[in-house]
Amino acid sequence: MNTHRQDFPLLRDCKVVYFDNACQTLRPKQVIEAINEYYQDYPACGGRSMHHLAAKVTHKCEEARSIISTFLHAKRKEEIVFTRNTTEGINLVAHSLGLKAGDIVIISDKEHNSNLIPWQVLRDKIGIEYKIIYSKEDNTFDLEAYKQALNNRVKLVSLGFTSNLDGVTIPANEIITLAHKAGALVLLDGAQAVPHRKIDVQDLDVDFLAFSGHKMLGPSGTGVLYGKYSLLTKLDPFMVGGDTVASSTYETHEFLPPPEKFEAGLQDYAGIIGLGAAVNYLNTIGFEFIEQQEQMLNKYITTELKTISGLKIIGPSDPKERGGICSFYIPGKDHHQIALMLDETSKIMIRSGQHCVHSWFYAHQIPGSVRASVYFYNTMNEAEVFIRELKKVVSIL
Amino acid sequence: MFCIIAFIVLSIIGIFNVSYRELAKEAYECVFRRITFRPCNTGFKEKMQAKLVGKLLTKSVAAARFLNKHFELLAWLLFITTVASIFWTGKGLFNFYMYGSCNGLNKSGFCALDPKGENNKVSQTGGSCGTGEGDESKVTLKGVDLSLFPSQKTDSKDEVVLIGCYSCDYTRKAYPLVKQLISENKVNYTFAHYPVKEETLYLLPIGYCAYKQDPDKFWQLNDKLFASEKSDIAKKEFVDTILKDIGYDVEAINSCSTSPETNSAVVDRRIQLEKTSVYGTPLVFINGKGLVGPKPYRVYERILKGWRFW
Ligand SMILES: Cc1ncc(COP(=O)(O)O)c(C=O)c1O
Repeated sequence: MNTHRQDFPLLRDCKVVYFDNACQTLRPKQVIEAINEYYQDYPACGGRSMHHLAAKVTHKCEEARSIISTFLHAKRKEEIVFTRNTTEGINLVAHSLGLKAGDIVIISDKEHNSNLIPWQVLRDKIGIEYKIIYSKEDNTFDLEAYKQALNNRVKLVSLGFTSNLDGVTIPANEIITLAHKAGALVLLDGAQAVPHRKIDVQDLDVDFLAFSGHKMLGPSGTGVLYGKYSLLTKLDPFMVGGDTVASSTYETHEFLPPPEKFEAGLQDYAGIIGLGAAVNYLNTIGFEFIEQQEQMLNKYITTELKTISGLKIIGPSDPKERGGICSFYIPGKDHHQIALMLDETSKIMIRSGQHCVHSWFYAHQIPGSVRASVYFYNTMNEAEVFIRELKKVVSIL
Repeated sequence: MFCIIAFIVLSIIGIFNVSYRELAKEAYECVFRRITFRPCNTGFKEKMQAKLVGKLLTKSVAAARFLNKHFELLAWLLFITTVASIFWTGKGLFNFYMYGSCNGLNKSGFCALDPKGENNKVSQTGGSCGTGEGDESKVTLKGVDLSLFPSQKTDSKDEVVLIGCYSCDYTRKAYPLVKQLISENKVNYTFAHYPVKEETLYLLPIGYCAYKQDPDKFWQLNDKLFASEKSDIAKKEFVDTILKDIGYDVEAINSCSTSPETNSAVVDRRIQLEKTSVYGTPLVFINGKGLVGPKPYRVYERILKGWRFW
């Protein structure tokens, strides 16, 4: 029995089989309590006011920042900028980096819209270029093509660390080393990576790392942008106003140092504090257990899926290369129908569609896929139910 | 197309059940193309199909497969059934409003709005009271000489004829309504006693003679006969006292009623009444339209006033 399940209200009496963790994970009671505590005991402004409630908010938010900084092994907690989600983190870098016409940004062919649209907009607005590195046959990263693409016009390499489409993780260390050699910075979209594996930003030497709190047990609409402090100081904030400046006159203003200069307006204090609690919780679980659990479940699911005739798994056939994600389609059978029916028959929550990676699906002429994404609190029992019901549904479609 | 079907069906179910209103709203949005078949969003039809098939799948794989395979066709069948049932419900409501019976004028089949069929009950000409099963389409005034019967004339063109039986419950139910109708509207009114029961057969000659003696007082006699106990009016002595109370010459009426001339007049009148194809009382004709059984007042009034009623 997976003892952690008791911490998740929705899982206590097995009301649902939740296999949509790549979209959002569930939250343990520790996170819910931390949020409630804020609203009940000290629901005040952080940073601005002097009273003791405000001081407590500030303290709690800074504590969360420290927890996350330690979690990522950042050099200092000021490298942690709170955002609403991964998308905001990527946009912040895109709009603050000072890219110019002719500058090149490297992305891959499997990027989430969050790491594609900002570059399309900058291409249209200021004339940057973006180069797409197409994946290999098995959907893994093509390091050779990447090497070929690097040159002195490449200012930024912006890649999804782990793909939400197929769960494939890129060889980040090598990619970063090569980029730095070519004089480019690296932004990693860590939405699907940070919740699932130990990440050491210093070891990686990554310049920016964006991720979402809601995909790692945190409250909805919370996120983090990690950035090397030296780089953050050089970046212009793209959203400005209250809380970003030390002072202002009618004519001038003086920005606060990072991270404050990027955190414009009143923050989601409850969310930030809840995210701190979520990271604390993840620390107690440990990534060893998380990875082990995900691999065990994905191995079983993959093995069983392969027995369904006509079913195609997106990405490498070895589940070890796909983390907790198993994305598949059956030509001629509607992916939405499958997802809806699984919900209807056994309250199995999975994602269907194009997972905001429309570009990849259009390019491959695949209408969409069904995606099961597991997390450490999922069980073999649930995986068995999923497979059993899926086979039933597929048999009638 | 499915959206339209679903929208209509769900809207109707939604009237009675709140939980379907949301779906109806979704169908409405789908109809007006607000839900587009964007890849991120499944279409309404697919959603409904998956929900229904999924539900069935928990019960029977074969049935779910069948539903999934023939979903469009089954949806159409459901739609047609729904439309048909709406049509029939609407027709039933219309008929009940118009004629007091869901099934149409003088139709005595089951009607949920009048479950006991009160509006169609008649005293059958055979003698017993019950639901009339005669041929209502045949009742008519054609060829009937109404001038032979007691009447109240006005200069109106409207005509109300009541053929009823003094001792029958359903005529007794209709009588006050017909009276209300003729008092509230200027009409020519004719009354005919059609005794479906033996015990009031003797009132035929008495009525004939009373009307002959004093037509005005006849209407008082009518009121009193309908207002008295059925068992009382079966007794001649009782009727005599009524006649006396009204101011009739009872002796003269009694001798008139046994005369051969009266006898043949009564037979003549009976012959005229048979021409109406009456199969049960009350039978009310309003401007020639025959209504068998006691109808709600609105039905009488509507038929009398025609379009002016609306
Ligand atoms: C790889 C990846 N990048 C970016 C995002 C966007 O995350 P958010 O919506 O939290 O900004 C997601 C969300 O699914 C994702 O999986």
